[in-house]
Amino acid sequence: MTQVDSTPTASYQLPLPEDSPEAAPDGQPVVGAVLSLSEPMLAANATWFCRLRWLVIAIFLLYGLVGMVDQMTERLLGLHSPGAWPFIAAVVLALGNLSFRFHIKRLWKSGRANHAEVDLWGQIVLDLLVLTAVVHFIGSTQTYIAFTYLFHIALACIFFSRTKSLIVTLLAILLYGACIILEGADLLPAARVFPAAEAPMSTAPGGKMQVVNFVSAVGIWLMVWYVTSRLSMFVRRRDVELAATNRRLRAALAERSRHMLRTTHELKAPFAAIHANAQLLRDGYCGELPDKAMEILRRITARCRRLTAEIQEMLQLANLTSASQAPEWADVNVAEILYWCVGQVGGLAQSGDVSVQTDLKPAPTVGVEDHLKMLFGNLLTNAVAYSNPGGCVKLQCGLDAAGPVVTIADEGIGIAAEKLPHIFEEHYRTNEAVRHNKESSGLGLAIVRQVAEMHNIRLRVDSQVGRGTTFELHFSPRRDMAVPTKVKGE
Amino acid sequence: MAYILIVDDDQDFADAAAIALSDAGHEVGIEQDPNNVVANMKDRVPDLVVLDVMFPEDPSAGFGLARAIRHDHEKLKGVPLLMLTAVNTRLPLGFSSRDIDDTWMPVSEFLEKPVDFSTLREKVESLLQKASS
Repeated sequence: MTQVDSTPTASYQLPLPEDSPEAAPDGQPVVGAVLSLSEPMLAANATWFCRLRWLVIAIFLLYGLVGMVDQMTERLLGLHSPGAWPFIAAVVLALGNLSFRFHIKRLWKSGRANHAEVDLWGQIVLDLLVLTAVVHFIGSTQTYIAFTYLFHIALACIFFSRTKSLIVTLLAILLYGACIILEGADLLPAARVFPAAEAPMSTAPGGKMQVVNFVSAVGIWLMVWYVTSRLSMFVRRRDVELAATNRRLRAALAERSRHMLRTTHELKAPFAAIHANAQLLRDGYCGELPDKAMEILRRITARCRRLTAEIQEMLQLANLTSASQAPEWADVNVAEILYWCVGQVGGLAQSGDVSVQTDLKPAPTVGVEDHLKMLFGNLLTNAVAYSNPGGCVKLQCGLDAAGPVVTIADEGIGIAAEKLPHIFEEHYRTNEAVRHNKESSGLGLAIVRQVAEMHNIRLRVDSQVGRGTTFELHFSPRRDMAVPTKVKGE
Repeated sequence: MAYILIVDDDQDFADAAAIALSDAGHEVGIEQDPNNVVANMKDRVPDLVVLDVMFPEDPSAGFGLARAIRHDHEKLKGVPLLMLTAVNTRLPLGFSSRDIDDTWMPVSEFLEKPVDFSTLREKVESLLQKASS
């Protein structure tokens, strides 16, 4: 038996897209997320619910304290003194609140936010029990206090699935009904804050009106539950759809960046290998070559360099013009970016005997640093490349009322007036430029135009053939104006 | 004479670079599989490593390897690393020697392909000199 025969057979089946259901980042299927809020969101809501309860506790305490002053509630509000029940309600709620907050903090610390729903259920049940007691003391059918149950019904619709919010609604109905029955059977002590004759819905306990009030209140609750839970489900479903779309978009962008990286590598690497081997021949690593062969090798290496640069620029331009581009806008200092770009063209300037003079003052703005590096890198490279030996490139940066202003002036070959409107077109090169510098791809200024449009930079070119060219750039200070716009006349 | 290890999956480029560096009087080894690099380096610690970034199975293997050499292996952490790659692109725009840092790109120097061998040799000599001093 050969070694190959003993190797276990491995197999893999390429899954079709529909074989793998779309899942949320935490691995939960998206469909399941429609039923209720995500666990971290539930935990955040549980925390918010606790904070809100402190306000209610404060109201109870205040009401209780005012009630302690002799006839104060009667004089101020026309109500009976409440007695001790506001304090008891406040203490019960405060103790509950402390334990719920403690529970939530422990959940966050332990990373087990998935118990937040239990916490919320505890809060709602405690609230409903206390609320039922408050309803009894204020007047279950004689006042509108019973409508405060709606608050918990509406919140349950937001927090939970429809079934669970219905359970909360039924629990509220049960507690309210029990309160009325116990009151009707005189099993609960009479304790109403309104004098009987002044109650908003004056009814006798156990009377027909009490039944009518109960039924109408319950009917309203159920209607509110139906409408709110239905709306909540719609909103939640839309949220889930948006989240799924956002995930797909992020994945597409990440994939696009990976693809761009791979493409750059796969296109440039072969030229790097050709360039390397051509250098071995050109530089005599493999022995002397005739002059004619040397000339050909020089052309090969020069072409490799140009193609590599062109590939890079084509990819950069494709990336800039893509609608799915999501650049990172941030606070940048244009002077620092220019300083970096000057460093990048130092070698080229030295080899071309061109000096670069700088006058860079701090010029903060909002922009995409990498894009601005491309913009200024291209303009500076052009200024140096199209200068004559001994020439000087002057670079200035400062601020005017609207934002940064940058001027790049060279003493180079210049551009004829009739050719100026074309210099920002892709692959356009003047004959004079081609004669002066064979290395350019004709894409540099197309990249400049794209970045300038994205940053809402007004770009002006002044040129005189044989005397030089000046580019003046005026930045817009507002980020919200930095949306790609078409140049007038396009 | 120094022992230089070139880690690059592109055989044509690696061979050419090896000839250029051998001509400068160095002994040069080539490793195309990034998974073997650390083991090979432990067998014989090179004086300098020329490291590519993208490899067929892992587009960021060069970074991972640089971090492993710098942070995970006491014996190797002082070896100068010269990153030499056709990619000067960090999702999706340029990275360069300016982006060298201890966590993201813990290398000594960065060069972009295609590279002039005179530049490569200068950079290698300067790193070797710095390491020996």
